[in-house]
Amino acid sequence: MTKQDPEKKKRRKDLLDIDSISVEEIDFLVKTAQPFKELFTRSVKKVPTLRGKSVLNLFYEPSTRTRTSFEIAAKRLSADVTNFSVSQSSVVKGESILDTIDTLQSMKVDYMIVRHSESGVPNFIAQNTHASVINAGDGYHAHPTQAILDTYTLKEVFPDLTRKKILIVGDILHSRVARSVSTCCRKLGIEIGVLGPGTLIPDSRPDYMECFKDYATAFAWNPDVIYLLRLQRERQQAYFFPSMREYHNLFGITSNRFETVKSEGIYIMHPGPVNRGVELIDEVMTYERCLINQQVENGIATRMAILYWLQPGENKIRKPNTEIRGKS
Amino acid sequence: MTETQKLFKNGQIASEKSPTLRQADVLVNEKGSISAVESYIETKPEMDVIDCSRKILVPGLFDMHVHLREPGREDKETIETGTEAAINGGVTGLLAMPNTTPPIDSGGMVRFVLTLAKERARIPVMTSGCITHNRQGKELAEIADMKEKGVVMITDDGSPVANSYLFRRALEYARNFDLIVASHCETMELSADGAMHEGKVSYQLGIPGIPACSEEISIERDLSLAHYTKARIHIQHVSTARGMEIIRRFKEEGVHVTAEVTPHHLLFSEEDIGDYNTAFKMNPPLRTKVDNQQLLEGLKEGIFDIIATDHAPHTTFEKNLDFSSAPFGITGLETALLSLYTYLVKPGKTNWNLFVKTYSAEPRRILGLPSVEIKPTHPAEFIVFDPDVTTIINKAFMRSKSVNTPFLGKELMGRVEKVIYKNEILLDRLQK
Repeated sequence: MTKQDPEKKKRRKDLLDIDSISVEEIDFLVKTAQPFKELFTRSVKKVPTLRGKSVLNLFYEPSTRTRTSFEIAAKRLSADVTNFSVSQSSVVKGESILDTIDTLQSMKVDYMIVRHSESGVPNFIAQNTHASVINAGDGYHAHPTQAILDTYTLKEVFPDLTRKKILIVGDILHSRVARSVSTCCRKLGIEIGVLGPGTLIPDSRPDYMECFKDYATAFAWNPDVIYLLRLQRERQQAYFFPSMREYHNLFGITSNRFETVKSEGIYIMHPGPVNRGVELIDEVMTYERCLINQQVENGIATRMAILYWLQPGENKIRKPNTEIRGKS
Repeated sequence: MTETQKLFKNGQIASEKSPTLRQADVLVNEKGSISAVESYIETKPEMDVIDCSRKILVPGLFDMHVHLREPGREDKETIETGTEAAINGGVTGLLAMPNTTPPIDSGGMVRFVLTLAKERARIPVMTSGCITHNRQGKELAEIADMKEKGVVMITDDGSPVANSYLFRRALEYARNFDLIVASHCETMELSADGAMHEGKVSYQLGIPGIPACSEEISIERDLSLAHYTKARIHIQHVSTARGMEIIRRFKEEGVHVTAEVTPHHLLFSEEDIGDYNTAFKMNPPLRTKVDNQQLLEGLKEGIFDIIATDHAPHTTFEKNLDFSSAPFGITGLETALLSLYTYLVKPGKTNWNLFVKTYSAEPRRILGLPSVEIKPTHPAEFIVFDPDVTTIINKAFMRSKSVNTPFLGKELMGRVEKVIYKNEILLDRLQK
């Protein structure tokens, strides 16, 4: 790597998780997102930063919102964007990932945005391509761009984040958002509380997570933000909690709890899409401290910053499927 | 092979009976039996002299847990490549697992596999048979017929017999035939879609976990049934310290149980998975570093009777899938001796005698096979091991069809220089 660009030091090839990036890098991304967001208020929202570069959305799991967010981000940087959606049913699970990567490699893609239902697939792809890989969500593992856009959103509200308190509510066990958001908050000195059914709060969670049994004790902890996780309706939920109704009664923002939220001035966040009547009641959506729409808007600016920051690697040709992967 | 006597001069003999090596000359007669082991044997002109100075003579190893994959998955391993891999690692006898395709669950299948082995293997191959028909855990396989055709153990390895009632009947039925019932201990409902040990690392990687209690509950159940039925049972590939303590308790009560531990459960932990490295994905999964230490203590204390590798070859293509989709298992035959020497014997964590006992002598005792201790009248069945050089584990070294080992590309201490089997030299790395 050459030294002429002082910022180049900060650059890396891939964004796979939050664990592997530093606080400085997170700060850098948040700062970089700022001017991109200001751009949105202008009539021409495009900058030429990635002109001539190609960005590929490689989505093995259906997603409209995240994919669109990346697509808009890339287009506003003047990149060429291709959507490559692979339905899970059309491939034997995982089987053709390497073959797909080899194909895409030949197409000289610069950035690959990957979503997959199995944890670690973006890591695997990153090891096998010169393109920059951005993890857009893998299994239960990580969703780093969500965590960074949430950090950006939090920064807009609280210029100083240290010792702020965030209460994450819901399915911690199966949530890549919870993993990435909590790791990121932890790095920034934010205190983290978790609340949810005993079945969905894993015992193997990190020690820094304060675990609450109910909203009464959680409210007594004085959270600044309540971060509601989306309940995945499709999971075999009967093993984890008896009904949506009971979940809502115990862990949703009900009208009673909404009163407390308002009187305490607690901010509400949610990665979307929201299950109205489950995680929260309708009225929360129009609450002035509900940051959900702001999160979506910041998502585009943050993803622009990330695309701008990453540096695709050397175009090395990998021999397909001849070597077992690993470090040796 | 040759009709001469062979004199192995100045070697250091490893034995289960002594923590220290004994310097001696070993004379092997034309028929392949050891005729003398003395501190000095005079060289005579009719003898082939093999200088073993600074080398260690280790009794031939025996691996009681090997997946040879034939018939069915010859792309992963065959009886021939699997046994050649064994020889390459100093293993001169093995027990094959019956989860082939189709599985070894009938007298006919047993005969087929043993006939193939006779034709294609240069070392003795024994086989186990299934407990249940087609490994489905629904009805007993024809155990007596399999026994008559040569099966020495029955197991549904790869999966447990989930139905406790059926497992009880299997233990009772097998008693009449003096067969060991071996158990892969796992509670499938608890393992669910897990792919690694459930704990801090699985949380961090976002990989569904297999809790330790999935195995422990099953060990407890199986030993309770063995206690109740007074049957003989063997617990395969124990991975957790608590599971080991359950075995200890039942052993103290006098239940006829033997147990095995694999090299990888002694040497590696969940932390080694790192960046989703599927070379560390196996079932039972790698547990914690505390488990590693305690399992080693258990081996020393005799809770574990044997070391066995659970040699499980898989294609590179399959192991290159994402972590959750890749198959469980790693190869072990070619690296067991070298890795245990490198990480346990050489640093002084164990002595040769423990290794010889648990990976050569005891497996043979459990299966009722003759001893291969290096002493007069015994068949010559030993390895010449050079502790002063290293072995690089790569494709060129390996004889197995598969390379799914965490040691791939690594350098291990020591080298299996020669493998002697009766009057044959099965391997001689000095003669290219």
